Amino acid sequence: MALPLIGVVLAALGSGTADIAARDIARYALTSAWLALLVGGLTAVTGTLAAWLVVMHRFPARGFFAWALALPLATPAFALAYGYADLFDVAGPLRSWLRAATGHDLPFELRSTGGAAFILSAAFYPYVYLAMRAAFLNQSVNVLEAARMLGCTGGRALWRVALPMARPALAAGVALAVMETLADYGAVQFLSVQTLTTGVVRAWSVYGSTVSAARFALPLLAAAALLLWIERASRRGATHETGKARWRTLDVQPLAGVRRWLAFGFCLSLLTAGLLLPVGWLIWNFAQTSPDWVRLMAATRNSLMLGIGGAILTVGLATMLALGARGWPVATRIASLGYATPGAVMAIGLLAPAGLIWNLAPGSGMAIAILLLLFAYAARLMAAALEPIDAGMARVTPSMRHAARTLGRGETGAAFAVDLPVARGALLTALLIIFIDVLKELPATLILRPFNFDTLAVIANNYALDERLGQAGLPSLLIVAISLPAVIWLTRRIAVARPGV
Amino acid sequence: MSDEPVLEICDVVRAYPGRRAVDGASFALPRGGISCLLGPSGCGKSSLLRLIAGLEPVDAGTIRLRGQTVAAAGLTIAPERRGVGLVFQDNALFPHLDVAANVGFGLAGLAAEDRRARVAALLDRFHIAHLAAAWPHMLSGGEQQRVAIARALAREPSLLLLDEPFSGLDGHLREAVRDALLADLRAAGTSVLIVTHDPEEAMMIADNLVLMAEGRILQTGRPQDCYHRPASIAAARLLGELVVTDALVADGIADTHFGPVAADGVPDGSARLVVRPDALAPGLPGLTATVTRSRFAGRYYLIDAVGAGQAVIYPLVGDPPANGTQVILGLRADAPVLVVAGEG
Repeated sequence: MALPLIGVVLAALGSGTADIAARDIARYALTSAWLALLVGGLTAVTGTLAAWLVVMHRFPARGFFAWALALPLATPAFALAYGYADLFDVAGPLRSWLRAATGHDLPFELRSTGGAAFILSAAFYPYVYLAMRAAFLNQSVNVLEAARMLGCTGGRALWRVALPMARPALAAGVALAVMETLADYGAVQFLSVQTLTTGVVRAWSVYGSTVSAARFALPLLAAAALLLWIERASRRGATHETGKARWRTLDVQPLAGVRRWLAFGFCLSLLTAGLLLPVGWLIWNFAQTSPDWVRLMAATRNSLMLGIGGAILTVGLATMLALGARGWPVATRIASLGYATPGAVMAIGLLAPAGLIWNLAPGSGMAIAILLLLFAYAARLMAAALEPIDAGMARVTPSMRHAARTLGRGETGAAFAVDLPVARGALLTALLIIFIDVLKELPATLILRPFNFDTLAVIANNYALDERLGQAGLPSLLIVAISLPAVIWLTRRIAVARPGV
Repeated sequence: MSDEPVLEICDVVRAYPGRRAVDGASFALPRGGISCLLGPSGCGKSSLLRLIAGLEPVDAGTIRLRGQTVAAAGLTIAPERRGVGLVFQDNALFPHLDVAANVGFGLAGLAAEDRRARVAALLDRFHIAHLAAAWPHMLSGGEQQRVAIARALAREPSLLLLDEPFSGLDGHLREAVRDALLADLRAAGTSVLIVTHDPEEAMMIADNLVLMAEGRILQTGRPQDCYHRPASIAAARLLGELVVTDALVADGIADTHFGPVAADGVPDGSARLVVRPDALAPGLPGLTATVTRSRFAGRYYLIDAVGAGQAVIYPLVGDPPANGTQVILGLRADAPVLVVAGEG
């Protein structure tokens, strides 16, 4: 699984002319860092506030928002970018209308780092929301009550007790949002914001230089390693367990008067920004185009095939790893390294081994290319699959496993009779997560796909680059339509109140 | 039925980094009946259980089950091929299977009809037939334990191991649950080895005791023998409080603070006299001591006293003497005593 990472480092060290100056790399890196900072800050604030409101307060539609706020996970960031860019374009409907109505133009430009930060935050705030929601749900009621007894109001209790206790979750959630930001290609490319990831793809597609691409990728890899370390380190401290008493029902505060509508409005605006507005606009737009159904259907088939294949391969490998690596945690850590790595970087790292294979077995191009692509997905998403599977298998105590052994099952037999059935919910969760992520994946697919092999994401990207947004909308919508049921199922599952109840 | 032991442990060693959990343990278990492996927490008894079950390899020594060697250095017969049942402290029921499926788990090789019949018989024997369709999380601790035991017995193991089976039950319920369960286990006719750290419980339920400390076996035998004729001070200490006083042996007679005591086979010189507190009684000729403390223990008081540099304890029914009172303590004529060579 670490193979692509080694590939990147080797390629970057390789001789050969670099077509891109170090100055450019620094400039792109600066944009990436600035973007990461903005998205990190925005998602931290919005995600935390939304989680705090939903977990601790009663206001209209709270139960709906509890899971619906995670729905933007079904929307690829590039789809949001298409929707917003069209809405806020100089000649776009919203801007034109505002100009006509008020006589003034909007004072910002969406195709900028700030605009990209807004769009990516709208797409990625659910990572923080979900992490913080879990943290708030798991917090000890006793500690909160102690804070209230010692004179804190609800708000002060958030600031002085709940937030500090949830800091590991916040760090983990923000790290995930920032990882996704750094890995994003489709949205920033469309908004003409030059980041390291667009640099990787451009260096490869425009200049055809693996060396340059790999040099863009190196700072990304370093950042990815740092973020992964932050995420893991925070998770280690994430358990402030204080015993069973904490499973009493949380004291939910009813909000009164204008405050309940403020809470409602805040949650609704988050959901609107991340899903309803851009997706609604894309739907409206698509009604006025005549799509190329043949091409779309082929791409849908390819997307589904890759999604299902990727999910099965990744979850299969992750399961074997989870079963096999017990008592050898280093193995899973190595396999998880790819998680923070942008797909583009992963793809570049796989190009060298791919070339080798193609040279050894010419003529098998299509099958090998798809296998490589699936492998890239597996390497990139291994950690995302391992996490729920590990959590599911943690329900199997060593004594259950040993009981199966003394009851006549061999090592493998015990895994099939006990571990897998107990973790079947977790396996399904992992399958769906990987399936959705593969559907939305763009840069690695762009680089590694065989000729004339389009996925929905690739088609959307191609249309968008030609500024045919109406056409780009439909494949994006198809991705949303396919992944939305899965995301709904997942978030409803997560929303089943407090664990242990 | 042959007299061949069901289990033979011979010089078994199991070492972890930094310590030897099992350090040359040896004993044999007769076929049938209930045996208790008794020792303080951390003495290696759970490790020994896992070695017998085959969940860990031995570093040295051998383990034989019904005459067949199942473990030796470099040889570990897999747990599923040993014919040993193990009931875990947490019962380890499979959460994804109902009670009947849990009990039938080990009967995969049987035809469905036979399996159903065997499961039904076991559920019946352990009085949990009404729970057949229940899920593990719906059961009480005692019910879970019955399921776990029925599950372990389903494969008709030659030896059933139970790891601290009664530690999870609370005091009031414990005795009733334990007695009912033991009656069912005896009726099943299987050889049973129970690990426990509770000496009273061990003596009450066991036909045969195995005393263990610091990775070694100190003594095996009937509870009465182990209690009254301990092989060593350490073995005696496992089964309850002791009074150890100085003595001097000459020609097979020990001169003690309580008068002369037979000490056959003990070499001349310094020795120690080991008795249970209930071997001492006030009003008999012996040691003059000063009471230092009285502890209320329900039906009697436990009195601490010191005399001639010796600390002693004795039980007393009735009102306790005030601290500082002088008492004279003697040895009951029929009390079992142990004389051990060497200084205290």
